[in-house]
Formats: sequence, C-alpha cells, structure tokens
Amino acid sequence: MRRIFKIVFIFLVVQGSAFAQHGNNRVEALRVDFISKRLNLSPAEAEKFWPIYNEYTDKLQAIKKNLRQNFRQKSGAMTETEAEELYKLELQSHQVEADVHKLYSERLKAIVGSKKMVLLKIAEDDFKRELIKTIKGGGE
Amino acid sequence: MVKELFFFLGVSLSSVSVFGQASFDSLKIKQAKHYFNTVIAIDAYRKPNKDLETNKVLEKKLGAYGVRQTMITFHVPIWTKDRILADSTRQNQHLLITGNILSFRPTFTGVPDHNLMKFGIGLRYIYNTGKKGVLFIDVSPFITRDANSSSRGYYRLASTFIYSHNTSSRFNWRLGITKSFQWGNRLYLPFLGLRFGAVNKINFTFQFPRYSSLNIPIGEHSYFSIYSMSQGGLFAFSNTDTLYPKLSVKSFNFSRFDINHGVRFDVRSWKHFSFYVAMGLSTRNRLTFYSEKANRSRRAVNYNAYFFTTKAPASFFLNLGLVFRLGQVRSSFGIRNLNDATDLMNAASGNYGNSLQPMNPKIQNKINLQSVQDLVDFNDF
Repeated sequence: MRRIFKIVFIFLVVQGSAFAQHGNNRVEALRVDFISKRLNLSPAEAEKFWPIYNEYTDKLQAIKKNLRQNFRQKSGAMTETEAEELYKLELQSHQVEADVHKLYSERLKAIVGSKKMVLLKIAEDDFKRELIKTIKGGGE
Repeated sequence: MVKELFFFLGVSLSSVSVFGQASFDSLKIKQAKHYFNTVIAIDAYRKPNKDLETNKVLEKKLGAYGVRQTMITFHVPIWTKDRILADSTRQNQHLLITGNILSFRPTFTGVPDHNLMKFGIGLRYIYNTGKKGVLFIDVSPFITRDANSSSRGYYRLASTFIYSHNTSSRFNWRLGITKSFQWGNRLYLPFLGLRFGAVNKINFTFQFPRYSSLNIPIGEHSYFSIYSMSQGGLFAFSNTDTLYPKLSVKSFNFSRFDINHGVRFDVRSWKHFSFYVAMGLSTRNRLTFYSEKANRSRRAVNYNAYFFTTKAPASFFLNLGLVFRLGQVRSSFGIRNLNDATDLMNAASGNYGNSLQPMNPKIQNKINLQSVQDLVDFNDF
C-alpha cells in the first residue's frame, strides 16, 4: 500500500510539467468552442459539420507538420539536390493546402450555406487574434 | 471523336486533381486511422480484513476477509470505416480488441492465500449512425483459474449489447442487455442508462445495473466524482483447503459481490496519461461458494446451488489507477456520438477514467507558441 502511495505522490509532483504538453488538443478544443458560439449551428447542421471540419483541419495540420519535419531534418548540411526537393515540397504543400481548402469548403458550404462559411472565416480569424493577444499577455 | 475523348479525359483528370484526394495522397503523409487511442489501464483495489460472522463452520475456518485486486485492461482499435451519405451525414464503424488480466486475492486469515486469475480477450464493435444513435456490442470470452494451485481453467463468455441515443448534448438514454458475472452469478440483465448533462460538463449518469455517478469537472485537467458502483465476479477456487467436503473435488466456483459508494478524483496530466484515486465504503459484501459438480447438470438455471454463502461487514476501500493512451487519433471535437461512444466504452469497462472526454478549456496566458503554430501565420503578428 505504501508503495502505491509513493507512486501516486511522484505522479502528483510531476503532473505540473506534464500539463504543458496538452498543447494542441487544448487549442483545438478552444477553437471548436469559439466557432460553435459564432456559427450558432443547429443540431442537424452540427452533426454533419464537425466530422468534415475535423477532417479538414487534421489534413491541414498534417501537411504543415510534414513540411516542418522535412525542413528540420534536412535543413543542416544539404546538397543542392536535397534543397531542390525541399523547395518543390514546399510549393507542392501550398498547392495541396489550397486544394484541400477548396474541396472541404465546398463540402462545408453544402451543409451550412455561404453566409455561415463567411462567418466561419471571420470566426477563424478572430480566434487567431484572440490567441495572439493571449500569447502576448493581453488575453483573458 | 478521338479529340473529344481526349478532351473528356483531360477534364476528368484535372477535376480529380483539384477536387479529389490524389494531390493530398501524393505527399504520402501518414495520418491517424482511428478515432480511439490504444488504452492500457492498471487498476489496484484494496479492502482491509474484516471478521466474518462465526455462526457457520466454514466461516470459523475462513476467519477474516479482505481483498487485494490488481487488474490490467486494454483496448486496441484495429479497424475504422467512415461512410459519407448523400446528405453529408458521416457514419463510422469501429472494431477494437479488448483484453483484461485480473488477479483477485481474497485474503482469508484462516486459509493460505489464493490468487484467482482471470484472462479475457474480446471484440468490441461500435457503430455511429451519424445522427443521434450509437450501437455498441462487446463480446468478452475469458478464462478463470486459481493460480496458486493446479486448478483447471473455466471458460466463460460475457457480452453486452447497447443502443445509445443522444437526444441532445445534455441528455442521453441507453437501452440494452448484458450477460455478466459481475454480480457473482451468470446473469442476463437489461441495461438501462440515463445521462443528464453534457459529458464534459457537470453531469449525472445512471447506468443500471453497473454505475451511477455525479461528475464534476474541476478546471481543465481534473474530475471529481461521487459514485456508487457494483463490483464482483465469479472465479475458480482450488479446493486445496478442503472447504468443499468432498475431497475428490479439485475446485469449485467462488463468487464475490459488493457495492462501493465513494468519491473519485481523476487527474488528466497529459493526453497520453492520467491517474485516479478513489475511496469510500464497500457495502453489501457477499461471498458464495458454488459446487461445480452440483451445478454441472443445471447450467441453464445459473449457478444457484451453493454450499456456502455469507456476508462480510462493510469496510473502507481504496482504488488507484494509472491509464496510458497510446498513438495519435483523428479529431473528434464537437462530434457528440463519438464522445458518447467513449462514454459507452468507459461504462462497459466500469472505469470512467479509461478514455478521455474532451474537457472545457479556457483561454489563458499559458498557451505557448508551439501549440498554435499551425493556426497562426507569421503575417498575423
């Protein structure tokens, strides 16, 4: 029993440092909450909207993460050929981002209509602004 | 004609590259396949020794009774299938492998320790209709044996079938049937569940016959619950102490059942790890010894022919657990049915800390740049 209490105590001590690693999930949850309030989706719209929106953001993040990882891995002593590959990958990634954005925007528009798509864009921008304010120390 | 054919092919291919998945796939990015993490939970449960009533011969022989139980449970998603309907509704199906290893040590002061083991491996199927309903099927065959002796293993099958309906984000009802040994016998019981309140906010949940609790989120990383939960099982018990008078009988069935009323504190340190501490009062403790031989001829009418049953006094209990969640998962923010599926998995395992529900975060200054780098462009600064 004492051993178990010791283990729990150690975890209680280290939890503070681990909290910082919630990072991305926390920001995603915040974003969903922020957009939900702004778009005022009906339950029927929400049922269809969030699975597609989540897939869309998952893809965008995967593209950015992939590009970032490639740059970090190869940005040291690279050959001209490797640099050319990275350069092409960056262009290709931006193109794919645009394609993904277009594809999913059409899908989302079919569910919520053009007006709410505009509101979505405004909500996303406002959310970014809130985040920046928070990082700068001017948030809530 | 040939020109028209080439024109048609050209238009088709260009539309695929713009609107299809080919361009994304060309980047060969590995994405998460499943919506649920692989979860491994280690659970320790302890109850101190309490004297049994000493009216019967066997009670005198057994002495006091306590519990030392350790359990490892896991589930691994193996298959996920999404389907988009014409009206943009997204349905999905999930198949998971589940498993558990349980060591239950009844600490009788009058007889040497027995280590009653249970090994189970099963399948779980979840169907999200994309509308309001979720279908949940869990089939868990398992084997029990007394590890401290050469007792043979007993094969059994537990299963649960539940339909869960999310009327709104604040109200859910469930209906189903469960075949379980949790109540100290082989029972087929209706499953009736009600939840008032959103899963990630203050809610009251009643899942007959397993669990009822009031859950209160505290901040972003912890949960406080007040709960009542049934706990028990049917195990193979070696007759090395000749508790069953017929010496030719090598083992018999041992069952225990209790209802725990307690408080629980869950800490979600990290998305891949959490732990919990629970304590309270264990009541209605019942122990029963069933003769395997006497029951063999009447399998259809449960294991009712017992040769000994007794009640132990209520006692304090302590329950600690560590939960590890492995791998990356697809986003399920705002998808009510997938949150409900997570809740169903917790209800089926009887452990509400296994799978995470999204918490309700607030914007605070501790947000770091790294966590928002995919959302914020440098031009925004």
